[in-house]
Amino acid sequence: MTTTDISGLTDGLRGALRSSDSRLSKFNPLPRILTIDDFDDGLHGWVELGGNYNGRGDLESLDRHFRDMRPPQLSNANFFDVGTHGAMSGTYSMKLATRAYRGHTATGIRRLTMSGRGLLQIEAYLAWKTEANLSGSEEEVNSFGDITWDANSHPSEAQFGSFTVATDLCSEGVRYHNVMRFVNADADGHLIQKWAYPVVPEPTPHERHQGVHDYEYGADFTAPDPKDWRYLSDDRVETCYNEVPTKINWHYLRFLIDTRTRSNVELQFNNDVMDLRQVPVPPYADKYESLENLLNFYFSARTVSGVRNFLFLDSVVISAGW
Amino acid sequence: MAMRQSQSAVIERGVELGTAHATEPFEAAWAGEARWFVQFLRPAPGVRVSIQVQISPDGITWIDHEGVAPVETEAVGMVSIPVAHFGHWLRLSTSKISGDEGPMLRIYLELKE
Repeated sequence: MTTTDISGLTDGLRGALRSSDSRLSKFNPLPRILTIDDFDDGLHGWVELGGNYNGRGDLESLDRHFRDMRPPQLSNANFFDVGTHGAMSGTYSMKLATRAYRGHTATGIRRLTMSGRGLLQIEAYLAWKTEANLSGSEEEVNSFGDITWDANSHPSEAQFGSFTVATDLCSEGVRYHNVMRFVNADADGHLIQKWAYPVVPEPTPHERHQGVHDYEYGADFTAPDPKDWRYLSDDRVETCYNEVPTKINWHYLRFLIDTRTRSNVELQFNNDVMDLRQVPVPPYADKYESLENLLNFYFSARTVSGVRNFLFLDSVVISAGW
Repeated sequence: MAMRQSQSAVIERGVELGTAHATEPFEAAWAGEARWFVQFLRPAPGVRVSIQVQISPDGITWIDHEGVAPVETEAVGMVSIPVAHFGHWLRLSTSKISGDEGPMLRIYLELKE
């Protein structure tokens, strides 16, 4: 057989094996699967993003906007109207839940290192919801922002701010983040429903220690200044929020990057595949110690309405091309 | 035999107790046992507080757990409260009974299959 034949056979076998694996056939991983996280059997290393504390763990030494990213929850998606909704596979998913506080962000992170360079990918089946509301006068609660309840659209949809998928990577001391955010609505409940990305690196605790910044609780830790965000497209991305805050439809997400060139490659959201090769990945100007080969992925949810926002992740697969 | 799943969640990292406080709703359907730890990160000697485990069918409407009596304590050191038969949601409600100062609390929820 020629090298080309062997390569084709390898790809074909890989595809056939994956298709017959009920856990993996719904994903499209790169050749080396680093992690498969199905939250039916624990959190698999997903943990609250924590800030950097001093030598004795003083709370005051943490950045205020880094003190409260909330512990992830193993959720059976238990709702007031239908009871246990369950997950796409099995009963449990991982839920990131914000506080009922404008600007608050809940963040779960997965920490690895890189054993090579090249393509790197995260895939997930996810859903986003707000906390159901069971009180208030009809006049007060049947409308929020752009949406008035009509038994199709529900005001809760306008109360979900955004969710984000991102990396924290470092090689040869150069640290950078690949970041894509689904911006659902603004603080006034106007629907936006576009993908966005920041054009600056995330402010770090080290920079605060150097006196570069000092952000308030509830600041957007990924990129605090709204002017530092750009939309990928002006087109609205229609989704399947599904009418009320207690119906969950799982959406497929795939984010592909290249660690050799420290660049974005592609984002897939259900059947939309978006070219990200022109989306910048701004590195930090200064080199970072203690982070060589850092390979972190995080998901976050951010409320700007002040209603609790939830990001549910049924399952997550991280794979690499090296 | 598979090892038992477990999770320790830092529910509050440093919350100022005014008159009353309730933790965020936390899902615990998968767990068979739980234990709260309340640490007075900044103690308030002489201040008395009451701590009550609460449960909910939906994470929205809450009642006191019928099997766990409220724990009254001085706001110093650390207290621990075990709880079982809690259903799917847990939170902890803390209120000040007497005293002027306000302690700062760190609250852990430990869950195990």
